[in-house]
Amino acid sequence: MTAEFTLSAPDTEEILRYMGMPPEQADEVTRTLAADCAEQLLSIAVPRWCGHIFDLSFEPDGVRLDGGLLLGGQDLKQHLDGCQKAAVFCATLGAESDTLIRRTQYTDMARALALDCAAGALVEQLCDHIEGYVHAQHPGLHSPYRYSPGYGDLPLGVQGSLLVLLDAHRLMGLSVTDSCILTPRKSVTAILGLADSPIPTHKRSCPLCPNMGNCQLRKTGGHCGF
Amino acid sequence: MDFNTLLTSNTPVLLDGGMGTMLQAKGLVAGQHPELAALEHPDWLEDIHRAYVDAGSRIISANTFGANRLKLANMGATVADVVPASVAVARRAAGDRALVALDIGPIGQLLEPTGILPFEQAVDIFKETVRCGVEAGVDLIFIETMADLQEARAALIAAKEVCDLPVMVSMTFEERGRTFLGCPPASVALTLEGLGAAAMGVNCSLGPAQLLPIVEELARWTSLPLILKPNAGLPDPAGGGYDITPAQFAEALAPATELGVKLLGGCCGTTPEYIALLNTALSGRTVKANAAPVPPAVCSGTRVVPIDRVRVIGERINPTGKKLMKEALLRQDVDFMVRQALEQTEAGADILDVNVGLPGVDEADMMCRTVKAVQAVTDAPLQIDSTDPAVVEQALRLCCGKAIVNSVNGDQESLTALLPIVKKYGAAVVGLTLDKSGIPQTAQQRLDIARRIVAAAESHGIPRRDIIIDCLTLTASAQQECAAETLQALRLVKQELGVKTALGVSNISFGLPLRPQVNQNFLTMAMVYGLDLPIINPNAAPMMAAVRSYHLLMNIDTEAREYIAAYGGQTAPAAPVAEGGQRTLDEVVRLGLKSEAGPAAQTLLSQGVSPMDIVNGTLIPALDAVGADFEAGRQFLPQLIQSAGAAQAAFEVLRAHLSAAGQTPDQSNVVVVATVKGDIHDIGKNILKVLLENYGCTVIDLGKDVAPEEVVAAVRKHGAALVGLSALMTTTLPAMEDTIKLLRKENLPCKIMAGGAVLTADYAAQIGADFYARDAKAGVDIARTVFA
Repeated sequence: MTAEFTLSAPDTEEILRYMGMPPEQADEVTRTLAADCAEQLLSIAVPRWCGHIFDLSFEPDGVRLDGGLLLGGQDLKQHLDGCQKAAVFCATLGAESDTLIRRTQYTDMARALALDCAAGALVEQLCDHIEGYVHAQHPGLHSPYRYSPGYGDLPLGVQGSLLVLLDAHRLMGLSVTDSCILTPRKSVTAILGLADSPIPTHKRSCPLCPNMGNCQLRKTGGHCGF
Repeated sequence: MDFNTLLTSNTPVLLDGGMGTMLQAKGLVAGQHPELAALEHPDWLEDIHRAYVDAGSRIISANTFGANRLKLANMGATVADVVPASVAVARRAAGDRALVALDIGPIGQLLEPTGILPFEQAVDIFKETVRCGVEAGVDLIFIETMADLQEARAALIAAKEVCDLPVMVSMTFEERGRTFLGCPPASVALTLEGLGAAAMGVNCSLGPAQLLPIVEELARWTSLPLILKPNAGLPDPAGGGYDITPAQFAEALAPATELGVKLLGGCCGTTPEYIALLNTALSGRTVKANAAPVPPAVCSGTRVVPIDRVRVIGERINPTGKKLMKEALLRQDVDFMVRQALEQTEAGADILDVNVGLPGVDEADMMCRTVKAVQAVTDAPLQIDSTDPAVVEQALRLCCGKAIVNSVNGDQESLTALLPIVKKYGAAVVGLTLDKSGIPQTAQQRLDIARRIVAAAESHGIPRRDIIIDCLTLTASAQQECAAETLQALRLVKQELGVKTALGVSNISFGLPLRPQVNQNFLTMAMVYGLDLPIINPNAAPMMAAVRSYHLLMNIDTEAREYIAAYGGQTAPAAPVAEGGQRTLDEVVRLGLKSEAGPAAQTLLSQGVSPMDIVNGTLIPALDAVGADFEAGRQFLPQLIQSAGAAQAAFEVLRAHLSAAGQTPDQSNVVVVATVKGDIHDIGKNILKVLLENYGCTVIDLGKDVAPEEVVAAVRKHGAALVGLSALMTTTLPAMEDTIKLLRKENLPCKIMAGGAVLTADYAAQIGADFYARDAKAGVDIARTVFA
């Protein structure tokens, strides 16, 4: 699968939430910072993605893609219950956003945090576009929310296999370290189930949120309501 | 037949085509590793190679693209298994009809700084593959499909250090004209030719039509033979294939010979049929010589600086006469160097000089750390400023792009020691017009030394475009007659030798009042006399004004665009000041107004308040108030960080004040912080660092991906009473545990705090941490308890 999307500056309120700042309590300085960083990040990011649709087979130990790679664990299996296929994709903002965030940490840590959060929001936006594209290409299908390695009992270690499966290093310069960190950093691998008929909607909770790592609300016992 | 003979004629040389798709057509199924084909399906492989040779390929690539130890380890194989077997199969198919290349693709993990693979480890990985290939009897090395110039450099350096075989290098580009890692063709060309590639080019990613403009750009920056191996067009949106036929491919690709492309073949999706038709299309064609001279230029991995106008070399990363810089070097504060780098590029420096030589400092170690850190955040090419050949070599290995070495002089000893290193790494070099007997008085004598330097450099194979002569500035207050002589020497050197020139400018005014005006005027005069590369402080506004004015007046800055961009709209008042006058330092910190913090601290100092009173009486209470609001949920993380940033700006003013008075701040509260091995999510750790510094701690920041041994060594060396460890991933928590275990095993009398997103208080206790830092503020509270 391939297509190009025009991304827009990520939503200021989403960035503020990622920064640990309830939007309704945000002062003007922080709000401006978030908006400004959203624009800057958008102007330098080089979004890329690649993906493929696989047939699913459900096995006792997990879900198998096209009779090949087994995605182990029970959580994903349950999550994909009712799906016949899944779109597996990876997305990145490229090395440029990493460099910008790294550079800004030397001069303005608050701005660096805002850029980091803007990047998190932008890569999610890219994933939303990909999800929309998949559904546009395959109308009439239904999906649970997209799922990533590290959620539930799907090990992060499967990322390397997913990149090989999608040829992501060659197609978009994405790789993974021995400790399962995607590089460039602002990257996502995701599994989007596809079902012929409507499936019950699941609500995302903290352990499944892409921002769990940064979320200050969660640490103080709060919840964003998303 | 040998490679060099093939290269010397003006007929095109046919390479082979795709391998992956051919193996799949033979029956390789998903999940089977193409890297192991020589072991598992040698007959398939031989058929494919033979089909390419039959189609006319004169050079075929052995099936060793992924044969490196990292990739093969995942498949349960070794380089020693795969490479000889793959080369043997290719050799059988080639017979005496084609040459066999050792094919080298990317390792599959990204190098620092985007990834975490260290440069020398990459070199080592490539060396293993090359050694096996050479022993197996390949005719040449073909490094291909590289997206990271630093990785291509590692492979090329590895190949050149292992063998004398010719090495071809090919990179992969996106349609925007850059690689995934942002490298433009010009950087690739300047760097790879400098490192001694035998041919260079472009492969994969796109079809012939899209790659022709990229190879055309490459041709402008190198005189080497060019390679072009496109895909069979663009991916077909409908399915897994590509969108052009063998005939279309051949028709589109053959005209590349007009651009100087000598070596042609195909990449993904191409088959022997594509190559056979290409062979037909190439018959009768000759390769146009790539004769245009390469422009003088230096580059980083992502930015080229052609020396076609005045280019500013920022001089600030140099301890000479700089107290704060000396202190920073002694405490190994690389961040200080990086901030100097960023300030200078912001002010307009094109190139950055890096000099970290100081008694008591391990120059090689500090140079390498600084080069790595600086090139991780700026795209400015670097000038390695040292006279120690070992330091220069280590720095040049790490330097991605074409750097400048500063400097050699007319002394035979200096030339013999440094020029081979300059040549090996393809750097440019500054030659100082002095020798054992000192700096000659007259312009003519300096020209004589310059001539000697140029001859020596050229005899080492360094092209004249890479030689820069520095005619040396002497102090006008001591030797007034010499200023004019320096200018004359500049003009003579340019006219007689046709080289580029550099000059450290500000030395001219030493000992005179109002130095900036003397510096500015001397700089303008020198530019008129032909100075290309002033080595100056770009933060000094008059100096950059002189350069910009010169470009404006010489009609180099057409329509005064750059001048207006720099100075247009400067009639508005500068920094906004709050209504009712200046805010107090307390207010500034509470509000997180970084730009006002320095001036506010300065105001208190000028009122006679001592630095320590400012810290204890104003800064700490203000930070405490913000911290209390944060804990109570009245303020949030961004505000806490903004306040910390403002306090930091105030501390910098205080530190400079203390340093000027010959004092250093109390540095007894030492904290070592690190993001553990394998983890690269360090923003939380960096936030903690700023906060700790606010509270007077001396923070030794070991960075990210830090091995337990490094933490232990730092704690021991600095006598740290507290260690802060961070990890963001579940996969790196074991590394945190290992680090704590090692610290305990070594019996170091330090407390340990642990933090990071996936960490909980229970888990921190379980792995033996003394404290769990929920967030950066909690980390500061812990430090204050420890140091109470």
